[in-house]
Amino acid sequence: MALAIEGPTAEQAVLEPVAAIAAADGDDIPGGRSRVMTVVGHVTLALLGLACVFPIYWMYATSLRRPDDVYKTSVLPWPLSVGSYRDALDELDLARLLLNTTMVAALTALGQLLTSILAAYAFAVWNFPLKRLLYLAFVGTWLVPFQVTMLPNYVLLHQLGLLNTLTGVIVPNLVSALGVLLLRQHFDSFPKELLEAARIDGRSSWSTLWTVVVPNLRAALSALAILLFVNAWNEYFWPAMVLQRDNSVLQLGINSFLNSTEVEAWGPLTAAAGLACLPIFALYLALQRQVINGFVRSGLR
Amino acid sequence: MFVEVAPPTQLAPAPPPSAGAGTPGPSHARRSAGSLARMLGRGVIPYLYLAPALGMLVVWIYRPLVQTANYSFYSWNLSPDQPAIPQGWHNYHRLFTLPEAGNSVLRTVAMIALLLPFTIIIPIIVGLLTAEVRGRARTVYQALIFAPFLVAPVASAAVWQWMLTPGSGIVNRATGLKTNWLHERLPALLSITGIAGWQMLGFAVLVVSAGLASINGDYSEAASVDGASRWQSTRWLTLPLLSPTLVFLVLTTVLLAGTWTFPLIDTLTQGGPVSATTNIYYLLWQYGFKSFDAGFAAAAGVIFFFGFTLVAAFLVWLSDRLTFHDN
Repeated sequence: MALAIEGPTAEQAVLEPVAAIAAADGDDIPGGRSRVMTVVGHVTLALLGLACVFPIYWMYATSLRRPDDVYKTSVLPWPLSVGSYRDALDELDLARLLLNTTMVAALTALGQLLTSILAAYAFAVWNFPLKRLLYLAFVGTWLVPFQVTMLPNYVLLHQLGLLNTLTGVIVPNLVSALGVLLLRQHFDSFPKELLEAARIDGRSSWSTLWTVVVPNLRAALSALAILLFVNAWNEYFWPAMVLQRDNSVLQLGINSFLNSTEVEAWGPLTAAAGLACLPIFALYLALQRQVINGFVRSGLR
Repeated sequence: MFVEVAPPTQLAPAPPPSAGAGTPGPSHARRSAGSLARMLGRGVIPYLYLAPALGMLVVWIYRPLVQTANYSFYSWNLSPDQPAIPQGWHNYHRLFTLPEAGNSVLRTVAMIALLLPFTIIIPIIVGLLTAEVRGRARTVYQALIFAPFLVAPVASAAVWQWMLTPGSGIVNRATGLKTNWLHERLPALLSITGIAGWQMLGFAVLVVSAGLASINGDYSEAASVDGASRWQSTRWLTLPLLSPTLVFLVLTTVLLAGTWTFPLIDTLTQGGPVSATTNIYYLLWQYGFKSFDAGFAAAAGVIFFFGFTLVAAFLVWLSDRLTFHDN
């Protein structure tokens, strides 16, 4: 991963040929393609695929059953009912949670994208003293698990008065080493002639970045933005630490719901969990290609 | 490079920006004090672009790392009005003598070992099988297998808790087992790793597919012309060429196992039953924020960091050796 990115090792296998996944569709399989293997492939993959989505299906199926039918095991949740959703909305202030989570995830992703663009630009365009060392400083963050830095960060947030605030969730996450490493790959492969042309035109490096580089890398940037957004949306550890007394983002809301209900209210619980996943699934269905590219290119998380 | 090749005419192309501010321009003989200042000014530019990201890195990663190392020599309960008492190496001594710490390391290793089938073995099988399937169906399978990766960990904890509920959960009803998955020791460990594996599988499959797609088909073609069977060409060509990707996945699994399992442990078992699912990450969290033993948690964190660095260095070394195969 991060370390492998230094050498031309795993990165080549992992980062470059993403687009090739789709392209390889047309490739001939060396050694010949046997009918038996094709059938085995279809059957195995279909079964595995169904097994993988079954829990997700079961989550939505349970949430759509009538409250009395929750314990039924029929595959189709019939008759449908939104009763569980109504109960979940009574229990949790879902509108506020959704709004907070969206805000936190969007601001985090935006901030990470911005700092990553600037840093990757510096690495790709200039040579400067300590460049390698500073780059290693980004790569090295993968060796520092969250649990190692949490205590001092918690103390600092306390001193800044940011505990139990959404700002406290966002601010410490405004840099993504992953974003810097990924964007550097893209910026490095950006045609140097274009940069040179912009320079001869008398553009500053700042205006070159925003008028030449960024517009041309829109695809890569949007893939990264989605990746960062999904990561921030699903983040649990850091919000759990910062918002100890106030479960004001979705992941924490569901967790408190999960642990608070004395009676096992599976209908409302699956309804809340389903709602929490819905925006991400919608994003995935709408932008499947970019999401997959973003994640594979990242080779991480 | 372009500059070197170009003939040294009067209109020599200016060095590309990548050559950087440090490279003297063609007119260095006439460099005035003013342009020197400009050169220096330009030397600062990359650092200005780096500043926001680096600043955050220093404040939120490297400063706390140093501070953790410092805390590890104190006894402190995180409260601002309580003084930290110097302890010397006592926290480290406790760490190495406390059976709890050793056990949690063993459990972490067990979890990583149980995750490897999901991040290595199944993805290889799926990757090889996907190569046999064409067109739309292939995209659909990949999408289905990838979907769990997008489920928020807490949501997946919720649905799995429901599915694993003894008595009414679908798992026991479908299999006829009576296991109380989350409240018996071994089943709890298996459940946590199984759920984490279910989430990570799609990601690993995509990485392996990308690795397979990058392998040059000429090798296998040559092998099949030479009469190699499909199995032989998979075993002796594809898998060795894929090995850097696999090392990468092992490294990812080792480094991120804690991040993946933590939310599941915290929501489903809280480290129980009888700390059967307390891995080292969860132990750190408990000491830091449940028993407020900051010094001890910090000492564990420091040891942990060094352990990680060693494992990562080994895997990077291994990956470098394995890429020898590729050209």
